[in-house]
Amino acid sequence: MKRPVLYIAAIITLLISFSACEKYLDLEPQYTQDAENFFENPSDYERALIGAYDLLQSAFLTSWIGEIASDNSIAGGESVTDTEGLHEIDEMRHDAVNTELRNIFRWNYAGVTRANYILEHRDNIDFEGKETILAEASFLRAYYYFELVKYFGAVPLVVDRRLGATEVTEVDRAPVSEVYAQIEADLQYASEILDWTNPVKGRVTKGAALSLLGKAYLYQDKFDLAAQTLDRVINEGPYSLFGDYAGLWTVDNENNSETVFDVEYSGLEGGGYGCLICLEGNAAPGFNGIRQYEGPIYGDGNSYNLPTQDLYDFFPSTDPRRDITVLDIEAFIAAQPNPAAITYAEGGGGHTGFYNNKYIKRKAELGLPDNDLTSPLNYKAIRYADVLLMAAEAHNRKPAANDAQALIYVNMVRDRVNVTPIASGGSQLTQDIWKERRLELSGEGLRFFDLVRTGEAANEIDGFVSNKHELFPIPQVEIDLAGGNWNQNPNY
Amino acid sequence: MLKNYFSSSRQIALTALMILPFLGFAQTKRTGKVVDETAQRSLPGVSVVVKGTGNGTVTDDDGNFSIVVADSDTLVFSFIGYQTYKQRVGSTTNFSIALREDATALDEVVVVGYGTSTKKELTGATTKVKGENITKLNIPRMDQALQGQVAGVSINTNSGSPGGSSNIRIRGLSTFGDNDPLILVDGIVYDSEGLNALNPADIESINVLKDATAGIYGVRAANGVILIETKKGKANSKPQFEFSGYYGIQQTSNRLDLLNATEYAVVKNEAFANGNAPLPFANTALGKGTDWQDEVFQTAPIQNYNLTISGGSDRTTYSVGGSYFSQDGIVGGDKANFERYNARVNISSELSKKLTLNSIFLYTHEKRDILPENGIGSVLYNTVNAFPTEPVRQEDGTYSYLEEVSDIINPIAQMENTFNTSMVNKFVGKEELAYKINEHFTFTNRINYNYALVDGKVFSPLVWYGPGKAQNTAANANLDPTIVEIADSVFIERGASVYEARDTYIDFTYEGFVNYEQVFNKDHTVKGTLGASVFRREGEGLNATAYNIPNNSIEFADISANQAPGGFLNNAGSFQFEERLLSAFLRAEYGYKKKYLFSAIVRRDGSSKFGENNRYGFFPTFSGAWIISEEPFYSVKAIDFAKLRASWGVSGNDQIQNFAYRALLNGEGVYVFDDVITQGVAIGRASNPDLKWESTRQFNIGLDLTVLEHFDLSANYFVKNTYDLLFQPDVSGVLGSYGAGGFPPIINAGDVSNTGVELEVGYFTDPSRELRFSANYNVTFLNNKVTRTPEGIEFLPGAQFGVGGNVATRFEEGFPIGYFIGYETDGVFQSQQEIDDAPVTQAGAKPGDFRFVDQNGDGKISFSDDSDQTMIGSPIPEFTMGLNLTFNYKGFDLSTNIYAALGHEIIRNYERQQPYANQLNYVINRWTGTGSTDEFPRLTTGSTRNTVFSDYFVEDGSFVRMRNIQLGYTFPRKWMQYASFSSLRVYVAANNLLTITGYQGYDPDIGSASALSAGVDYGFYPQARTVMVGFNLKF
Repeated sequence: MKRPVLYIAAIITLLISFSACEKYLDLEPQYTQDAENFFENPSDYERALIGAYDLLQSAFLTSWIGEIASDNSIAGGESVTDTEGLHEIDEMRHDAVNTELRNIFRWNYAGVTRANYILEHRDNIDFEGKETILAEASFLRAYYYFELVKYFGAVPLVVDRRLGATEVTEVDRAPVSEVYAQIEADLQYASEILDWTNPVKGRVTKGAALSLLGKAYLYQDKFDLAAQTLDRVINEGPYSLFGDYAGLWTVDNENNSETVFDVEYSGLEGGGYGCLICLEGNAAPGFNGIRQYEGPIYGDGNSYNLPTQDLYDFFPSTDPRRDITVLDIEAFIAAQPNPAAITYAEGGGGHTGFYNNKYIKRKAELGLPDNDLTSPLNYKAIRYADVLLMAAEAHNRKPAANDAQALIYVNMVRDRVNVTPIASGGSQLTQDIWKERRLELSGEGLRFFDLVRTGEAANEIDGFVSNKHELFPIPQVEIDLAGGNWNQNPNY
Repeated sequence: MLKNYFSSSRQIALTALMILPFLGFAQTKRTGKVVDETAQRSLPGVSVVVKGTGNGTVTDDDGNFSIVVADSDTLVFSFIGYQTYKQRVGSTTNFSIALREDATALDEVVVVGYGTSTKKELTGATTKVKGENITKLNIPRMDQALQGQVAGVSINTNSGSPGGSSNIRIRGLSTFGDNDPLILVDGIVYDSEGLNALNPADIESINVLKDATAGIYGVRAANGVILIETKKGKANSKPQFEFSGYYGIQQTSNRLDLLNATEYAVVKNEAFANGNAPLPFANTALGKGTDWQDEVFQTAPIQNYNLTISGGSDRTTYSVGGSYFSQDGIVGGDKANFERYNARVNISSELSKKLTLNSIFLYTHEKRDILPENGIGSVLYNTVNAFPTEPVRQEDGTYSYLEEVSDIINPIAQMENTFNTSMVNKFVGKEELAYKINEHFTFTNRINYNYALVDGKVFSPLVWYGPGKAQNTAANANLDPTIVEIADSVFIERGASVYEARDTYIDFTYEGFVNYEQVFNKDHTVKGTLGASVFRREGEGLNATAYNIPNNSIEFADISANQAPGGFLNNAGSFQFEERLLSAFLRAEYGYKKKYLFSAIVRRDGSSKFGENNRYGFFPTFSGAWIISEEPFYSVKAIDFAKLRASWGVSGNDQIQNFAYRALLNGEGVYVFDDVITQGVAIGRASNPDLKWESTRQFNIGLDLTVLEHFDLSANYFVKNTYDLLFQPDVSGVLGSYGAGGFPPIINAGDVSNTGVELEVGYFTDPSRELRFSANYNVTFLNNKVTRTPEGIEFLPGAQFGVGGNVATRFEEGFPIGYFIGYETDGVFQSQQEIDDAPVTQAGAKPGDFRFVDQNGDGKISFSDDSDQTMIGSPIPEFTMGLNLTFNYKGFDLSTNIYAALGHEIIRNYERQQPYANQLNYVINRWTGTGSTDEFPRLTTGSTRNTVFSDYFVEDGSFVRMRNIQLGYTFPRKWMQYASFSSLRVYVAANNLLTITGYQGYDPDIGSASALSAGVDYGFYPQARTVMVGFNLKF
């Protein structure tokens, strides 16, 4: 019986050695680069980074919701069921079933994931310029998380890794403070690595990282840190206000001295309605455009995101920014040489007589078909005027308030459009700065989040319910798909 | 001397004593020879005993014996595995005895994977089919021949064309993915797609493991396992030559009842009139016109020859064979030819007392020419829709254009211009060393391999099928090449092209296992198998297309002959893959008094196909049996043998695409830098490191009975639940899959359930009777249901109805896989009044249109969504059955094989819904006015909803088919001796002689490799009706 025992021992040894040989099953696809055998040379990092930038182009939707949810504009469109989610948000009757909110959720997490994909592989190889790429990726991750925390509050925090299909059920919503901590860390890292300027138009710079960091501090009411950070942008950065306020929203004037961070678009690739996130053009100007318009200067559009009378009336008639921000269509037509030849249609989704005159389809800026979707006009995510106003607010609201500095910054902004300087202080100055933000930044997708951040939303937005509408609901389907363990935001 | 004397006298006395009883009888020496009845092979070692005495002898190496007996004696011939045979001596001096194999013996060996068992001791649901039952049918593919032979195994045909494949489905469909069972030929993994290469005449037996006991093959066992044993030689036998062959003539088993020219003209005039269009035919008296089916179908030959030599010494056995098979198509003749050469060497040799070498080598060369078949644009699809008013050829001798229907081309021209050949050279082999350690342990080591070279060549000449035809390759009727612009203002000619491809597939399996068997204290039998297996499969292919083949001729159809200017149009491609499997398995069996039997199997499989979190799967199986008839209290006389079996286990299906768990870089990562659109990369399909196999849990309970010595009965009830089917449903946005070009990962979600009852009954008369009869009947009841689809996926769409029509089949929870969904009709509206009065609004309805059923009860028929669609059929038969009958009388044998599939539906999807397309003649019954018919709608070329997918296009697919009937005659042995043959049988046979069905299409036995397009008939290439003559000669 000795020998069979030996043989069985041999077999068992063999089996154990197989198990040890698990590498035998680690096959790589041949002659193919897939996501698991990438990051083997510097260009892999660069190409993946471009993929991470791609999701910035979802800004067209973010900018709509920032306006439509606020008192600045209504949803508009062809009918009340055209992009119904926007109408619900407009009327503050949105709930956890909303396609547009789900898009915000999905697209920003796609951005996070693409940035994480690079950062997950930060140590694969070393090469000159890797730090810059990692810094840009960190900025992008912070940018996307900032959108998510603004919209949804506590969100799952995934850092430097990708989740498997079932792993997501084990991930909880991270507290808002943790999400901000990650945003701050990423932006601090990015701001340390990046230069103030980058010869490539569209790249993230130190100024972009510090400005977003300052904004993140401001959104958390960390006014001291916000003031310090934004002061650096103002004092050390290469920025100045662009002389021609109206010219800011033209393709020709892009990348001017006021540009801190633009989301870049191109009109050189066509596109269709089937996949808006696939576009390389900016969908907002075309959608915001005048429905079935035939006439000079403007192109035809879809009558979305229509400014309200309330916004129009908010401007003193002497403020030149009114007509640059809001297009009064009838007044405009009446002023043309041959008004009778100009025609347009009112959309069934609502009509205010006003159009967003900053992001609007102009004849000079057509893209390839479908032209409604392919505007080359960049979205100004952060411009210097916003930095100045944020810095002013931070100085005014910080524990040891510096209203003098705040007034300097505010009046720089007012001075550019030749309106009289202000000289208030204390809480009146706070109100004035907030007013100034509306005058300067309306139509740019910031208004709703400013109102929420400053606690003014319930006063200004019809239907706004405190302790509810500060945050958008997490899409119910996303809660379900993540295992159903997350609590919904309050009162939804 | 005294001592001597005494001793010799004692001898005499003893001799006298022995002889005494026989005195008075004619005691003479008789001789004889014993052979195997079927193989006609001499049988050595057969015991020959005089009945009632201990006297006897055994046959020698050549099966010969001699014995001294009296006329009044009876000789008893017995041999293990054979039925005992008795013969009275009488005056016979030279016996010629043929022993029958003991077909019903409970100790018949059954192959169960890494070992064998006996029918008596099996604990699982396993059915064995003998090779002769396969060979006898003269069907070129083993799987087609298996149809109706095994309960629970359903075979349907993908195409009746020569070389066309079949589907083997063991216990129903478990997935919309790969449902093919694992096929092992002598333990060698054999691709079911490659079954054309296997010569049925080489098969000794087929063992089908249907239940969880297939789990010894773990992650590959969920669809069942088929173990094929090839023929082997027998020890101590002289070389036996067997030469067999048949030649047959095939013709189509069915034709469709299409409209002739006059009917066509009348019907079309009416349709055009109803559509307010000018009438196409001023004169409808057009006679019969062209019968396109006459033109397309032809009679075609089929032939097959096999030569086998087998035998063995006491240490080595061998079986060597070769065969040739050729079949032309009933559509296309030699353009649809299938040809196969096989060679086989099977040697087993005892190298030493303990070491045995088993060596198997199979070689196949096959060549198949194929026409477009079984789809839109196939030859038969064109044939059905070509209209009878068009001649085959125009007056100038060129083929007619059938111009009025843009996507139907002349099927005769199509056949003439199709050149599509594939060739396979396949080597399959095994080298196995079995070491017998001692009487209890055997250690087996083997290497199995498959190597296949698959070559394809398609020549596409310049052809002009008529104006506007999509299949045109020429620019005009003069066959001028088309001109293409390859760059700005650079034009070149695109002439005839040739596509060539070579794919190479190779796999290796190493397996090592120890078998153990020991009996303790007589009553306790313990068996064990412990082993490991390593599998690697690789494939690679290279293909290219070259243009401007000279002379527009097949003679120059080779890439080397291409004259493409600058090679600009030519292109090439390649692929490669590799997959690996690492497995360990253990089977432990225990039997008490051969009465209570238990078996447990565990297998652990690691596969390169699965994600890193689920790379290893663990598959347990438990089974047991109780042989009731062995119990002392058992007293049912009528039932000789009774066994109750039960099994439960888990197995897997790893036939998923390679690297499905990995993320792909096929997303869109594009951004604008410096106003330039800049390409980057992004993850497209997301990864899922948790991805794993589909898993099946199966429970089986069975009963085996032998009744009155002549009935064998086996019944099974099973519940087979499959989990974790692969889907790509929406996932959490947090996974980041929803950027541009992003897709969710493939995940395991979705379940399918199959439950069923199987019954096999065998009957045979006493083998010693002159008229012998045997019957085998099996029936399977099957219930298939999808039990879960993932959140967010209501259903998976399957096949489309018509061209651009509704999705007609679905994978949806609560329904059978691939069930048909469409509108239910409720007669025909007879008048406008009836439409106006109907409680349900049906937009656009006119008198003569179908009245559809309002399924959701909302008072209107909705054509824009599926709210009024319902289940209107299923392609899965409710039950299938097979019947084999054999009669033997003297030298004559008559046998038949009948198969039936009942309770399923087929979609009539070969009718092109075009104004001028020809139609089946049922349209003659069309609605022509109030009261004319409540079944067939009006005909119109105008807008109508009568052509949406409804139950009108669904037919009962039930059929009963006599697949084979044959009459043979075996010449008496004594005649053969003069010709020095050992046996000769000749026969006439017919395949598919008779099919009883209500189905209007070509062939109700219609399958599809894809579970979601089963039962969709696009103009199916029917199986041929074949009449043949054959012979089987042994010498």
